[in-house]
Amino acid sequence: MVKTLRIAFLFCLLLMLGGFNANAEVDTETPIEPAQEVDILSKMGDRYYIEFEGLFKFYLPRIIISDGLHFYSSTKSAMNSGVFQDQFYFENPQAFEAGVSGPVSYTLVHTDDGRPVMLDMSISKHVVWFWLSGLLTLLIFGRLANKYKSGIGRETAPRGAGMNFAEVMIVYLRDEVVKSNIGEEKYLKFAPYLLSCFFIILFMNLFGLMPWGQTPTADISVTAALAITTFFMVNLNGTKDYWKHVFAMPGVPKLMLIIMIPVEILGLFTKPFALAIRLFANMLAGKMLILSMLGMIFIFMGMYGTGVGLGSGIIWVSFTLFIYALKVFAAFLQAFIFTMFSALFIGMALEDHSHDHHHEEEPDGLQPATHL
Amino acid sequence: MEFAYLAAGLGAGIILLGAGFGIGMIGKGAMDAMARQPEAAGDVRTAMLIAAGLIEGAAFFALVICIILALA
Repeated sequence: MVKTLRIAFLFCLLLMLGGFNANAEVDTETPIEPAQEVDILSKMGDRYYIEFEGLFKFYLPRIIISDGLHFYSSTKSAMNSGVFQDQFYFENPQAFEAGVSGPVSYTLVHTDDGRPVMLDMSISKHVVWFWLSGLLTLLIFGRLANKYKSGIGRETAPRGAGMNFAEVMIVYLRDEVVKSNIGEEKYLKFAPYLLSCFFIILFMNLFGLMPWGQTPTADISVTAALAITTFFMVNLNGTKDYWKHVFAMPGVPKLMLIIMIPVEILGLFTKPFALAIRLFANMLAGKMLILSMLGMIFIFMGMYGTGVGLGSGIIWVSFTLFIYALKVFAAFLQAFIFTMFSALFIGMALEDHSHDHHHEEEPDGLQPATHL
Repeated sequence: MEFAYLAAGLGAGIILLGAGFGIGMIGKGAMDAMARQPEAAGDVRTAMLIAAGLIEGAAFFALVICIILALA
């Protein structure tokens, strides 16, 4: 109780200090120079450079397919080539006279007539982090696999904390996710895909929680790529029975098929779409929440002065810490859910519905069971 | 149009009402089931996540419409 009162008192004190500061700093309306602007959205958005704030900035190569294949080591060299120009300079030619140089918008257009490029296949920041995640997975689990091949873990107990932790996760995923959704006979064929899916997504989710790190899964293109992979895994492995349930649902009146077939075909695409949106939205929402929470400090600072801003900062930063802990949980949960739904869809495509067809032949006068 | 923003905001709120209610019901059901049969807790948890994920998926479809409205 006393502690609570003390905290409340301290907070009031800070608020008062802020009040004084607000009076003292009325006329400090200096215009913000462009150089001072902090690109906070770079924590969420895709960029054509990797920036370790305060350390170094690394420009990534641009690959553009438009009137042939063009390859440049950085956006700047693409601009220097004379073929492409930053859209910013094309729209604001006076920027050259003002002494501005270097890429601004990073959107390249053709220099001659300003038309947008046909296909921008540039390696962006999220792609690099995606590859890093894949490389890390390959490195960790490749080494682990070699250990198991040499007999450690099979003939003896697993050695070391890393191996034990990995084995717990792998065995849980194999038994509870892959085997229970796909079935005893065929699960081994899909376990590698689903497990690597899980770990790559997990690493990608966790990367964003590191300083300077990025979450590639907060980008719809990355999650869409993952979902498309699952889409092909599902549909290329679909059994005859699976396609029969899409195009000719057994036990359904012929007239109903006119409605059923489009809905089923739509269902083929909405499943991976939901998969992509779910992962993307969950990852982006966490980042957005943290940025908004931290942004509240600056809003308070602008409204009531620096003191209130700093004082309320204690609250916002502790909220942020809470969200951060939630994000660690969500990183594991969303990777798990993506894997589980992939396993579920693959399992549905492989399922043999032969046991269901008995209902139609049963002479007990029951309605044919609707097939799910 | 300013009303597009209003529609997007209201829509997001209504979606959250529905999705929150739905996921809450699943949570309630799962809690009840786990309390009644603690030995089946693992299976119940997996089924709960699947059902919650499906509701979440439907909610995200609606949220995407809100985003399209807000960006239009």
